[in-house]
Amino acid sequence: MREGIVVAWLFVRLKLRLIAGNLRGDTMRQVGFVFTLIAAVSVALGGLLLMSLLRLAPADLALDAGMVLFTVLTLIWVIGPLLVFGVDETLDPARLTLFPLTARQMAVGMFAASATGPWPLATLFFLVGAVVGLSRSVTGLLIGLVAAVLQAAFCLVASRAVTTALSRLLRTRRGRDLLAVGVVFVILLTQVPNLLLNQGFGGVPREFLSSLASVVRWGPPAMAAHAIADGGLYGLAEVAAVAAAVLVLTWAWIAALRKAMVTADSSTQLGSVRRSRFDGLLPAGPLGAVVAKELKYLRREPRGRMGWMAAIGFAGILMFSLSSGPGGLSGSALAVAPACIGALMIGLQAANAFGIDGRALWMNAIVYSSARDLRTDFAGRHLAVGLVAVPLLAVLSVAAALFAGHLPWALPALLSSTGLLLVALGVGAVTSVILPYTYPERINAFTSAAPGQGGVAFAGSFGAMLGTTVLALPLVLPVFLGLSWIAVLGIPYGLAVCYGGRRLAATIGYARLPDLLGAVSRPA
Amino acid sequence: MTDFAGGPGSAASAGSAGHPEAVRTRGLYKRFGQQVAVGGVDLVVPLGSFAGLVGPNGAGKTTTLSMITGLLMPDGGSVEVGGIDVWRDPVAVKAHVGVLPEGLRLFERLSGRELLSYNGQIRGIPKEEVTRRAEELLRVMDLADSADKLVVDYSTGMRKKIALAAALLHNPKVLFLDEPFEGVDPVSANTLVEVLRRYTASGSTVVFSSHVMELVERLCDWVSVMNHGHIVAQGTLAEVRGDHTLNDALLHLVGARGNGEEGLSWLGSSSA
Repeated sequence: MREGIVVAWLFVRLKLRLIAGNLRGDTMRQVGFVFTLIAAVSVALGGLLLMSLLRLAPADLALDAGMVLFTVLTLIWVIGPLLVFGVDETLDPARLTLFPLTARQMAVGMFAASATGPWPLATLFFLVGAVVGLSRSVTGLLIGLVAAVLQAAFCLVASRAVTTALSRLLRTRRGRDLLAVGVVFVILLTQVPNLLLNQGFGGVPREFLSSLASVVRWGPPAMAAHAIADGGLYGLAEVAAVAAAVLVLTWAWIAALRKAMVTADSSTQLGSVRRSRFDGLLPAGPLGAVVAKELKYLRREPRGRMGWMAAIGFAGILMFSLSSGPGGLSGSALAVAPACIGALMIGLQAANAFGIDGRALWMNAIVYSSARDLRTDFAGRHLAVGLVAVPLLAVLSVAAALFAGHLPWALPALLSSTGLLLVALGVGAVTSVILPYTYPERINAFTSAAPGQGGVAFAGSFGAMLGTTVLALPLVLPVFLGLSWIAVLGIPYGLAVCYGGRRLAATIGYARLPDLLGAVSRPA
Repeated sequence: MTDFAGGPGSAASAGSAGHPEAVRTRGLYKRFGQQVAVGGVDLVVPLGSFAGLVGPNGAGKTTTLSMITGLLMPDGGSVEVGGIDVWRDPVAVKAHVGVLPEGLRLFERLSGRELLSYNGQIRGIPKEEVTRRAEELLRVMDLADSADKLVVDYSTGMRKKIALAAALLHNPKVLFLDEPFEGVDPVSANTLVEVLRRYTASGSTVVFSSHVMELVERLCDWVSVMNHGHIVAQGTLAEVRGDHTLNDALLHLVGARGNGEEGLSWLGSSSA
């Protein structure tokens, strides 16, 4: 027991050191960390407040909401670390195998490390709010505090167990690539309830909520929520059940950890790629070379593929959900909106254009000897995105127009979304040189973002989103409001913004090429 | 375009010992926060030499090479490659240098062949010429069988070879290699050495950093020794090492103390 505390304390300090070390001497990263903190604090306070407000709701409604939200929280914890943010070196068993630690000690340490940081704290706040909101008696309050701690532990252990169990898969390149794409599906799945609601399945929201609650009723998270509300002997039994679940999961995790410590990477025994015939069609020279490279990266780089799939998926979902429900749109906006959202999401991926190149960017840097070269580079990237995106947007526009019941609407949809895409690319070029940051080397549940790094990315994409929205509004808003003919101006306007963005970005970027190189080649 | 093409008679570069210079830095200086990484380096590399930049870890070799190749902004001092200031006239210099930086940072999702093709084309070399040179380089580097595999799946030796091929593709006048032999198997290392020897035999210059003294001794005719961000010795191999091996000369130059016998009394199986 005592030994466990020592190990736990050691890992907590290691984690804090990693966070501090990562922030040292880099203003952008410090700003990013501040953003992360602000986000975590808002989630913490928002969660605390909203969950406490459940107290004002009728008891059964509060209970249903609590059970569903506890389950959602757990899912976020399980899926979150597999996504981009919030994981670090302290969680990779491979880094720790050489130390004389037993799997049990390691589990204690890793548990302590994953409980350290802004997000676990935010979770605790959320859970405290839930105790306030759900408990209806003093015993409920007391049981609630225990249940909240257990629920937090369940989240942490579940999250660790899943990443550890997947660690073998995650260490092969194919596995990582696969997972990265799989993650998009998971995110899209989160839209399913929303969709079902909009389509009128499940009737009124209240009934939908209770049917959802009955589905998750016997999962440990929902049992924890139910225990808080119950506050009696039954609740006590449920708390015991949750504790048992935590123990079983911990046991499974330690077993997975034991196994993960002695399995190896076998990812390099892989076949070849096909030689591209399309390259022959591209013009020779720098522009063609950049286009060819970008097109290959779109196809082969999972991080890129992920973004594209998400864009199309969300646009597709939007197509369904906009047309129905109380807040449904009408008119040509029905066709324009999905295409524009797709265009925006595709365009925003260019907000950190050099991130995907990462440490390889030096290859360009030792060649480019004028701002013009950099402009050509941007032009190549934009051309490559356009070559893939415009046909996709065309399909999307036609589909949305058909769905909205009036095919001619596809035309304003395509024109305005292409314009929007161009605007986003132009803005993205500028953010790429002003707010460059390192993408994690590989999508990996362990090293996907060094502690404290996620926020710079947030600042960059937020800036790009804001810039794009402001610049695209004069184009998209009138179309949205029914002045479809404005869409004719979409492409010329977009091209102008895109060109301006490239020029500005090349001038800024060339002057700070070594800085840029440094910013995207951080070890992560 | 510049004096680059100018041979030994070139006016811009009359070196210290009468040799024309491929590389010269003056007071090159770089600080990271409180730490001075490179504190006024005056590096000289004669044209056509196979030059070694040696020194212990943290001596500032990589930082120096990064500043010379234009990948890192110096805080002070100047760099001339072929008599042209790197930071004032990058166009002239960048066209004529090849670089293999440390860490093997490559475009991971291109195949070896595609990587070479990309490199040649962004340098504006005609496509057919790029293809011809790339195929030849792939064959010489013994990478022909793996040319269509993604670089992300290459082994360390293969990565060094493809990176060297990329650095040679535009036939640079000066080649900068940072630890080219680190983590490379003997067979691949031999291939690298063969290619580099052929390259310098034609009058081109190689500057490489290493801390494998035997290798430097075997390959180089010019050596610069760095320690704590300064050049502590520089000259022909014979001048620098004198009557000793290069390894002994280096240990002497960087002032390595003792042989560790005074501490570490607990180490070994004789004690608990």
